[in-house]
Amino acid sequence: MMNTTWTIARKESAQMLRSQRGLLWLLTFSGLLSAFSLLLVSNTELSLLDNAQVVYMMAGTVLAAGALLVAILGSDAYAGEKERGTLVPLLCAPIAANALLAGKAVGLLAAWGVMFAVATPYLWAVGASGQNLGAALFYLALFGTPVVLGFGYLAMALSARTGSVMTSLLSTVTLLMLAASPLVIGPGLRGTAVGRILDVINPFAGALNTFDSVIIDSDPFSAQTGRLVLVGVWLVLCLFAARRSASRPDF
Amino acid sequence: MKTRNLLLIAIFSTFLFVSVSRAAQPPVSVDLQPDAENPISPIMGDHLRFWSTLKNTGSSPMEGLVVWISLVEIDPGNEQPVDLEDWSAQKAVTGASLKPGESLRTDWPMRLIKGSDYRVVVSATDRGGRQVYTSPTVQFHVRQKPVLQAGRVLPVAAGMPLLLIGLMVFKKTGQGRGNRNNVTT
Amino acid sequence: MIDIENLRLSIEGKEILKSIDLHLRPGDTYGLLGPNGAGKSTTIFALLGLRAYESGSIRVLGGNPMEEAVAIRRSVGVMPEKAGFYDWMTALDYLKWYARLYGSEPVNRDLDMMLEKVGLGTEARRPIGAYSRGMKQRLAVARALITHPKLLILDEPTNGLDPKGRREIHNLLVEFAAEGKAGVLLCTHLLDDVDRLCNRIGIIDNGRTRLEGSLGDLLAEQGGGQRYRLRLETDPDTTNLPAGVAIAGHEGGWWRVQAQVKPSEGPPALWGELWRRGWKIMEIRSEASSLEELYMSHTGQDKHYTQEAA
Repeated sequence: MMNTTWTIARKESAQMLRSQRGLLWLLTFSGLLSAFSLLLVSNTELSLLDNAQVVYMMAGTVLAAGALLVAILGSDAYAGEKERGTLVPLLCAPIAANALLAGKAVGLLAAWGVMFAVATPYLWAVGASGQNLGAALFYLALFGTPVVLGFGYLAMALSARTGSVMTSLLSTVTLLMLAASPLVIGPGLRGTAVGRILDVINPFAGALNTFDSVIIDSDPFSAQTGRLVLVGVWLVLCLFAARRSASRPDF
Repeated sequence: MKTRNLLLIAIFSTFLFVSVSRAAQPPVSVDLQPDAENPISPIMGDHLRFWSTLKNTGSSPMEGLVVWISLVEIDPGNEQPVDLEDWSAQKAVTGASLKPGESLRTDWPMRLIKGSDYRVVVSATDRGGRQVYTSPTVQFHVRQKPVLQAGRVLPVAAGMPLLLIGLMVFKKTGQGRGNRNNVTT
Repeated sequence: MIDIENLRLSIEGKEILKSIDLHLRPGDTYGLLGPNGAGKSTTIFALLGLRAYESGSIRVLGGNPMEEAVAIRRSVGVMPEKAGFYDWMTALDYLKWYARLYGSEPVNRDLDMMLEKVGLGTEARRPIGAYSRGMKQRLAVARALITHPKLLILDEPTNGLDPKGRREIHNLLVEFAAEGKAGVLLCTHLLDDVDRLCNRIGIIDNGRTRLEGSLGDLLAEQGGGQRYRLRLETDPDTTNLPAGVAIAGHEGGWWRVQAQVKPSEGPPALWGELWRRGWKIMEIRSEASSLEELYMSHTGQDKHYTQEAA
């Protein structure tokens, strides 16, 4: 099973990196971070707090872009192959359903890894003279990975179940926007009972709150354990949904 | 007779003066000193420590004391109080009690977030009193450190997109060469 | 190699397969005929364990596809109806990658030979995105054969091919079947393909098997064989006919003959034999074959009629 998983994963990763579309996505992402960095470079009077805020915002942007990318790739994973006629030949090969899912998940992980690698020089450039850069990178990896992979599994679950790229993409992106919505509602609304409940169950908010806690407030690891459990539960639930759908995909 | 009256007036005045003086003296003394190991010329990111000593100089015990630290930026044109949220985790001591003659010594650690001129002061009040007692202020200057260096940002901001464009061009030309080598019959 | 008995299968509450029987032995080239929507592709998916069935039984290479799907597929080469590929890969890279899914690591030389066989030798290193539909169809055949399967399943393999292409695919399949041990299941609605390639057929319609058995026997029972009309230069000697040829009539200058030919030989050998016996053939026209009559008589009805002939 590991061989077929790895064979699928290599193809998925190569598809991202070797295709013009994948490189274009990376270029767009890089351009966004470049614009972000250049906007700040003229301001030499930034405080440490401001600098930490920049690193926090950049980490949040990387997380959001990563989740969006895997939502797109995950939505294409089954339904896109079905629409292009490549799913049936894949299903006719001796690959267990879980192996196929795992291979595609590794492909999503590779895409996230590439985005992380592209973002690291930017985070270093803006954050090296400030505070908590190492922590920022560590927690972006520790929290960002399960959040992003969870959205990937969710997109694949919808992709396999619905057989439509459009349907699964719209659904996943809508959910992603809802998860990211605490960013746009003010701290006042976030402080209400409903806002606090949403914060507790929202993995995206959990990751962002962790970035805030470690990058800006310099809080220790022990203060993040509750949110780590939250993102872990999110990942497991999405994986479960994906395995169920992938066992009988719509082809 | 005259001499005796003058002596009585003098004794009475002295007694009255001492009483009034005693009544005007605050029951608390608050002192604030920088730690001896504080850097002489601190820069953004450095840590400073201040020590406050609160002494009950009155005759009655003080209950429910609240002692807190405040920071004010005094840079000309930027005068404003500073929110210590990100500067210090230790912002107040509450609930302490002091018997007459007792002292409370507290340390106040602080991380320097922004470059400017500052004054720090410690204030105290108790449950029963109506006054706030303050320490003398301690003034210090924090040197600015450039946290965003153009020499680091510009190469990355320009270099990464160029690298990716180069990869795209390389892929495209590689494909074109491959297609030319496979001529359809 | 395949034994299906009374298979029932529904998809989303709709009964697709109502009563399917199919028996394919080692060495058989089995033609599964049926109109569009009869259930041919669904039967294939059930064989591969991709669709769960409700009742009946399926054994493929001795295993139950509901329990041993992965193990069964390891020995099965499949050419699905839609020949989908990853356009950014070259044919060579794709076949190598696909073979890995079967646990195989073919060398470039073997892959080049296979691509040469399907007529893609010079295109092996071009991205598949640049291929025509016919080229992709050939590549799909290569994909099915590259893993040296024990059982080959092809769904409409000659779709989109010109007559030359169809003949090349036929030759490949004949070569594969001639090795003797493997089985071929050919799903198609093209009677010419079945006529040329298959020794056993099954006709399904509306989810039911209408007819199944050896092609020769079924045609013989029908009064079978292929029908032709021949215009001759002179009147022939009708007492000296080769084996497998019968005269069906003589009307308006045309001699109507019924000929039983081996799928691997086709009629040309027959015309040569007739010529040697004094039949100076000037024109040949094919009439509606018996297979077509067999097919037409067993489809478009709703009766359940299964005939097993040896």
